[in-house]
Amino acid sequence: MTNLSLGSRIHLLAGVAFLLYVAFAFLGFRAAGANGWMITLMTLSVVVFILMLYTLHRIQVALARITARMEEAAGGNLAGRITGIRKGAATEAAAWALNDLLDQVEAYFRETNAAFEHAQKGLTFRKAMTSGLHGAFRQSLERVNVSVEAMADSQRLVQKERLLARVGELSAVNLVKDLKTIQDFLVAQNQDMRVVANLSRETAEEAEASTAGIQAIVADLNRVIDLIDSTHGQITQIHEKSSEIQQIIQVITEVADKTNLLALNAAIEAAHAGEAGKGFAVVAEEVRTLSENTKDAAASIAASIGSFGLATTRMMNDAGHMKEIADTSRSAITEFAGQFQRFSESARTSLAQVTRAQDKGFTSLVKVDHFVFKQNGYRTLQAGLDSAEAKAARTDHHQCRLGLWYEQGEGKKAFGQLACYDRLALPHARVHGNVHAAMGLLNERWESDPALQEDVVAAFQAAEQASDEVMDALDCMVTERHGG
Amino acid sequence: MSAVRPTPTQQEKVLNDEDFIVSKTDLRGIITYGNRVFIGISGYEESELLGAPHNILRHPDMPRVVFKLLWDTIQAGREINAYVKNLAKDGSFYWVFANITPAFDERGAVSGYYSVRRKPKAAAIETFTGIYRAMLEAERRAGGGQAAMKASQALLEQTLQEKGVSYDEFVLGV
Ligand SMILES: Cc1cc2nc3c(=O)[nH]c(=O)nc-3n(C[C@H](O)[C@H](O)[C@H](O)COP(=O)(O)O)c2cc1C
Repeated sequence: MTNLSLGSRIHLLAGVAFLLYVAFAFLGFRAAGANGWMITLMTLSVVVFILMLYTLHRIQVALARITARMEEAAGGNLAGRITGIRKGAATEAAAWALNDLLDQVEAYFRETNAAFEHAQKGLTFRKAMTSGLHGAFRQSLERVNVSVEAMADSQRLVQKERLLARVGELSAVNLVKDLKTIQDFLVAQNQDMRVVANLSRETAEEAEASTAGIQAIVADLNRVIDLIDSTHGQITQIHEKSSEIQQIIQVITEVADKTNLLALNAAIEAAHAGEAGKGFAVVAEEVRTLSENTKDAAASIAASIGSFGLATTRMMNDAGHMKEIADTSRSAITEFAGQFQRFSESARTSLAQVTRAQDKGFTSLVKVDHFVFKQNGYRTLQAGLDSAEAKAARTDHHQCRLGLWYEQGEGKKAFGQLACYDRLALPHARVHGNVHAAMGLLNERWESDPALQEDVVAAFQAAEQASDEVMDALDCMVTERHGG
Repeated sequence: MSAVRPTPTQQEKVLNDEDFIVSKTDLRGIITYGNRVFIGISGYEESELLGAPHNILRHPDMPRVVFKLLWDTIQAGREINAYVKNLAKDGSFYWVFANITPAFDERGAVSGYYSVRRKPKAAAIETFTGIYRAMLEAERRAGGGQAAMKASQALLEQTLQEKGVSYDEFVLGV
């Protein structure tokens, strides 16, 4: 009996009861014979029995409907209800209770869906309406509203993130482009600076060499001027001496004149003395002739000395002129030598400044290189590991411009002996290393794995920090070489 | 279908806080299901409700354009929320905040409509009594027909514009 359905069991019980009743009636008729009362009672009991079966049937039908609705509901179809419920029927309460349950469940789902659908569109004013829902349904809907609110919040955030990401993407793409322009400019400028620096160096060296030559010329000229000076002095002396000679000749001429007069007097006296004076007269005549000759000689000396004096006067004048000219040119040459000295100094200074500007220009270029390098690393997140950006970001710290410069180029030559030079290599390696590490983390899972994303961010942060150190070391090197 | 419309009275019935009225209709708005709360407050027997058009509840104080909006929205497959003044069999009225949604069959086609009506907030009843009165007045002045609909719709849109909100936002916000 246990595996028979309720309906079959009722039918079975009714059948058994009916058989028992027929048996009872049969025995009754046999014992007491058919009388009026018994027939009435029997008929009534048959009617009651049929009514009972009919009621049972109704209950069964109602239960079948209830069951069908429940099965539908269990199958996920909540739309069906029981209608046409008879007042006072045994199953009335059960039917309405089922309808109420389905009303609660269906309203619950509709409200949940409506709230989520609206929230997905960013419409937060459409909350799940809890009014009229009972107990667990209401509590659950209240929770739905909390999560819808949270969902709307995160939707807003996601929306914002998406916008930021798009703008970021835009700016990143353009940033690299802009940086490349600056990079090209710096490369060209760096080449120009190198040419200028070389020219300055040549100029400064030539100026220095010329300075020595100029100084030799100035020394020679000074010596010439000194010689002119002393010549002028000597000529002056000669001039003075010639007038002294003139005076002496004057004295000689006077002595000769007086001697002539004396000789004349002696001749007269000798004539007075007659024969005795004859020899004396000859001597007097000789003396007179001598004085005459002396006078003539003195006169011709005086004439010579006179023309000599004219020559020395002219020479003296000329020497005076020469001295004036020499003095003027001495000051001109001194000034010129000073100017040349200053020119040579400024050539030195400008060489220093050009070298410094060149170094600064180069470090700027290297900085831009590293911005571009990092940016390419970042862009790999969007553009993927096969992109041109990823390829560019794979250069290591030996191959990049800074690496080449540092290890084998001018960097080592010009900066190798500085303390700051040593501070560059490690952080530089870390910039490349960390960007490569970040790219290495970008496997298939990174977009959905928060822990992996953390690591990627951490690696990029480490690269940024190392990059700051590289920038510092570069500035430090320039300052150390050229002073603040 | 009750041929005789009840005469409206000033008697108000109020829905319980923890109850809601549930009803379902076919595509034409013929009632196919009503819950016990519906039967209780409307005053009709279940047998009177089933097969009757949903407008047996229509109260003369309701502007026509509200029902136009209602049908336009649900026929487009979307839900509508509306404050509705309903007429009970005994002539009394009761305010509800109705949420009406299309019901879909397994193939995703609209198979009928489903309505849950809740007890509205007192403040909302006050607001909509005023709005509906003005709209109804506009409909009357326009003398019925398309013109009446237009006039009353314009009034509703103007109200929304003044508040700077959409219909949904306004209805759910009051
Ligand atoms: C599911 C559903 C529920 C409705 N509930 C109401 C209601 O509560 N009150 C009402 O007046 N109209 C209700 N209506 C709108 C009516 O069908 C009808 O459009 C409205 O009463 C106006 O009557 P009329 O179209 O004959 O002018 C409902 C319609 C649907 C589809």
